[in-house]
Amino acid sequence: MLLEQAVRYSEIILAFAYAQQSLEYIRGLQPEKTWGVIRLFLSFLLLMGFQPVLVEAGLLIVSCVLLYRFQGPYNGGSDCMSMLVLLCLFLSHIAPTEFWQQIALGYLAFQLTFSYFQSGYIKIINADWRSGQALTDVFAITAYPVSEHARRWAQSPRLMFVMSWSVIVFELLFPLSLLNHYALIAALVIAATFHLANACLFGLNRFFWIWPAAYPIILWFQSRIVVT
Amino acid sequence: MLKLLLPVIFPSWRFFSSIGPSPRIHFTFLTNENDEPDAWQEFRPRPAKVSLKSGLWRLLHNPEWNETLYINTCAERLFEGYSEMREQEIMRRILAAIDSGEIKVDSAKPYVTYRLSAVMREGQVINQQVTFVATPLLLVDSALISASSEKGAA
Repeated sequence: MLLEQAVRYSEIILAFAYAQQSLEYIRGLQPEKTWGVIRLFLSFLLLMGFQPVLVEAGLLIVSCVLLYRFQGPYNGGSDCMSMLVLLCLFLSHIAPTEFWQQIALGYLAFQLTFSYFQSGYIKIINADWRSGQALTDVFAITAYPVSEHARRWAQSPRLMFVMSWSVIVFELLFPLSLLNHYALIAALVIAATFHLANACLFGLNRFFWIWPAAYPIILWFQSRIVVT
Repeated sequence: MLKLLLPVIFPSWRFFSSIGPSPRIHFTFLTNENDEPDAWQEFRPRPAKVSLKSGLWRLLHNPEWNETLYINTCAERLFEGYSEMREQEIMRRILAAIDSGEIKVDSAKPYVTYRLSAVMREGQVINQQVTFVATPLLLVDSALISASSEKGAA
């Protein structure tokens, strides 16, 4: 995949993810309602490919305002990834040379890979995750399960054990998928399915839309940096 | 601002590194400011089941759930230490729920308050402890809610 193609595809998915988040802010309270309207408009311009540098600069300002408003991310990791994708795309546009453009996008590819690997690493060093107890607690104790029916999954320790190890192994092995184009595509499909499961079970819908915004960049990264 | 930006630019990606105390939020209405609360109601109890149709829609648009997750983040910060901003953020959203009719008001009880509980596993037992009770607020009319919203936003 060519760099320009990857950036454009990434911008289209990012625009959709930001529009999705903005529509949710618009249903909320002030002042985020107003900022949601502004961001929805900018997302539309980004989707159309209109003046990406200016539009992304505007989106970065809105993101900083919201970060200050909530004294941190509103929606945890999904806000971090949203801002990271946006920042790296913006930097790739204003980079003075192609080298720095590749550094900016390479950083995003690194963070995407690291987001999976680090999540797997912190789980495998935790005895509660290795035994399945931690995932049992996620279902039984935390505020995440979307329904009482979903909470009852905690009553199946064997399922929790299998799910824990499936997630740990996938997350730890994700960086190895960079060695082969088809392995990376397969890994991204599994990763998107994982985010879909998190959205269905824990209501983390914003993660499902924003993580794929970085997928075109990692596909470019794999073809440009790792293979050649 | 830099303190807020750095964890976003250099994220730690430590999702569910350990399962700490999980917040539960309950609210109640009082006749007088200093009354002892007797009947707490859970704020936004989860449904018994989410249908496939509802689940698909929530994948696209789920503002209430994401707001609830944000409220839980505020509650977790209050576990770590008192913050007026976090206390007001939760109250503001309870007031908005009252204003929208999501929470039914008892007209004989003009004060509202909420409490935070921490649910945690200790050995094989799951415990729940009340960690915080908010200052009761007098519900006069929706103008008060708007005023509170502005105060929270400031």
